[in-house]
Amino acid sequence: MMSFWENLGRRVIQMLTAFADTIVFAGRVFIRIFRRKTYSSAMREVLLNQIYFTSVQILPVFLMVSIIFGSLLIGVVFQLLKEFGITGFFGHVLMGLIVTELSPLLTVLLITLRSASAINTEMAVMKVNREIKTLEMFRIDVIDYLLVPRVINGIISIVLLSSLCSVALLVSGALFSWLIIGMSIDVYTNILLNAANFSDILIALFKCAIYGFFITLIPIRFGLRASHELTSIPIVVSQGMVNVFAAILIIEVLSLLTKLL
Amino acid sequence: MTLSREFKVGLFIGCTAIIVVLALLYLAAGKGVFENPHAFTVSSKSGDGFTEGMPVVFSGFNIGKVQALELNEKGIVVIKIKIPDRHVKWIRSDSTFILYRPLIGSARIVVNTTNLNSPPLDEKKIPEVIISNDINDTIAKIEPVLERVGRIAENFERLTLSLSDPKGDLNRVLGNAEKITSNLATKKSLVEMAVSDEESVKALNESLKKLKDITTNVDRILTKVDNMADKTDSEIYGKEGALPQVNVILKDIIGKLQILDKTIDNINKISTDASEGTKDLHILRSDIDDTLKTVEDAVRKLDAIIGLKKAPEFKVP
Repeated sequence: MMSFWENLGRRVIQMLTAFADTIVFAGRVFIRIFRRKTYSSAMREVLLNQIYFTSVQILPVFLMVSIIFGSLLIGVVFQLLKEFGITGFFGHVLMGLIVTELSPLLTVLLITLRSASAINTEMAVMKVNREIKTLEMFRIDVIDYLLVPRVINGIISIVLLSSLCSVALLVSGALFSWLIIGMSIDVYTNILLNAANFSDILIALFKCAIYGFFITLIPIRFGLRASHELTSIPIVVSQGMVNVFAAILIIEVLSLLTKLL
Repeated sequence: MTLSREFKVGLFIGCTAIIVVLALLYLAAGKGVFENPHAFTVSSKSGDGFTEGMPVVFSGFNIGKVQALELNEKGIVVIKIKIPDRHVKWIRSDSTFILYRPLIGSARIVVNTTNLNSPPLDEKKIPEVIISNDINDTIAKIEPVLERVGRIAENFERLTLSLSDPKGDLNRVLGNAEKITSNLATKKSLVEMAVSDEESVKALNESLKKLKDITTNVDRILTKVDNMADKTDSEIYGKEGALPQVNVILKDIIGKLQILDKTIDNINKISTDASEGTKDLHILRSDIDDTLKTVEDAVRKLDAIIGLKKAPEFKVP
C-alpha cells in the first residue's frame, strides 16, 4: 500500500519536474530567438536548410493533401448543412471551423508526422554519437546553432503552410458552394467577409506559431535526453512524439478557451 | 536551370507571405477598415440583447456593427452604430431599426428602408430601436401550454396523493366495498343485507307472490276485454255491422235533405211572394180604408144635410 503511494508521488513529482524543465528550457530558447547575436551565418544556414526540408520539400505533397482532404471535408460539411437546411451558417462554419481550426490542425499534424519525428531522431542520434559534446568542446553554442533555427523554422513553416492550407480550403469551398448550393463567387466572398473575424484569424495565426514552437522544441528536448546507447533512440523518439501530440491537444483546448473568453 | 536552395526558400516565404498579406488586406478592405465610418445613434428603453460588435444588417447583408453602448442621463440606452461609407446609402430618414433576436443564431440590428429616395438620416437624429424577439414570442406561446401542463401535473399529484392517502376518498370507497362484499358473503340475499331483517324479507317475498297472482288475474281480464273488443269491432265495423248501415242511412238522409232543401227554397219563394202579396193587401186595405172614410165622411155630410132639412129628401148626384 505504502509503495503504491510512493510510486504515485514519485511519478507526479517526475511529471511536474519534467514539465517545469520543459518550460524553463522553452524560456531559454524563446529568449535566444530575440537575441541578435544568435543569428550568425552558420545559424542562418541551418535555418535556411531547415525551412527547405520542412516546408519547400513537402510543399507539393502538402498542397495536394490539403486540397484533397479539405475538399472532401468541405463537401461533406456543405452537404450536411444543405440537408439540415442551415446553409445560412456555412460562412461561419467555413471560417470558424475549417479555416481557423481544422486548417492549423491539419498542418501541424502533417508537419509533426514528417518533421518533428525527424528532428527528435536527429537530436537523439547526435547525442548518441557525442556530436553535441563535440560542438560544446568547440565552444559552439548548441542552443543557438541547433535549437533556435529548428524552432524558428517550426514557427515560420506552420504559420505559412497553415495559411496556404486555408487559402486552398477557401478555393475548394468556392467550388463546392457553387456545385452543391449553386452559390455565385460574389455571394460566397460576401458571406466569407461577413463571417470572417480579425480576432479569430489573429488567434489562429498565433496558435500556429505556438504549435510551431512546441512541435520542434519538445522533440529536441526529448532527443537530447537520449543516453550514449543506440537503444535509447527509439525510446526518446516515442516519448517525444507522445508528448508532442499531448502538447497539440493542450494548445487546441487552450485556443478554444481563449475564443470562449 | 537548377534553382538554388536559397532561392526556393526565399520564393516560398515571399509568395506565401504575399498571399497571406493580400488575404488580410482583402479582408480588411471588405470589413471597411480603410473607409471613413459614419456613426449613427439609435436608442432603446432596454439594453437587453444589445452587445458591442453586434452586426447591423440590411437585406441580409452586414453593413455595419454596434460600436458602443451607453446609458444616458434619462435612463435610455444609446447605441452607437458604425456604418462604412459604401453602405451609408442604405440608411435613410425613414429607415427603421429592429433588434432581431432569433431562436437560433446571434442577435442583430436589422435596418428596413422603405424609400431609398428619402433624404439620408441625420447623424444627430436618434431613432428608437424596435425589439423583435423570437425567444420571447416562443415563450409567450409556450407559457399558457406550460401553465396547463402545470395544472394537469398538480391535479395528477393530488390524485396520486389521494390514492396513496390511507384516509383518502378512494381508500374509503375501497374499504366500504370490502365491507359490502364481506357483508354480502354472510347474508342469504342482497335484500336481506339491505333491510337487515329476515321477517321483512319473508313479507316482501309473500307480497311479491301475491303481486304475481294479481298480475295473472289482470292478464286474464285483459284477454277477455281483448276478445270483447274484437267482437265489438266486428259488430261495429264488419260488413253486416252497425257502422256501414248507419252510413247507408246517413247517405239516404243526405239525399232526402237535398230534396228538402229544394222544397224549403220553394216555400221560401212562396213566403216571399206571400209577403209581397200581404204588402199589396195592406195598400188595398189602406185604399179601402180611405174609401170607407170618404164614404163615412160623405154619410156624415148627408146626415148633416138631412138633419137640417125639413124634407129628408135629397137628390143623389
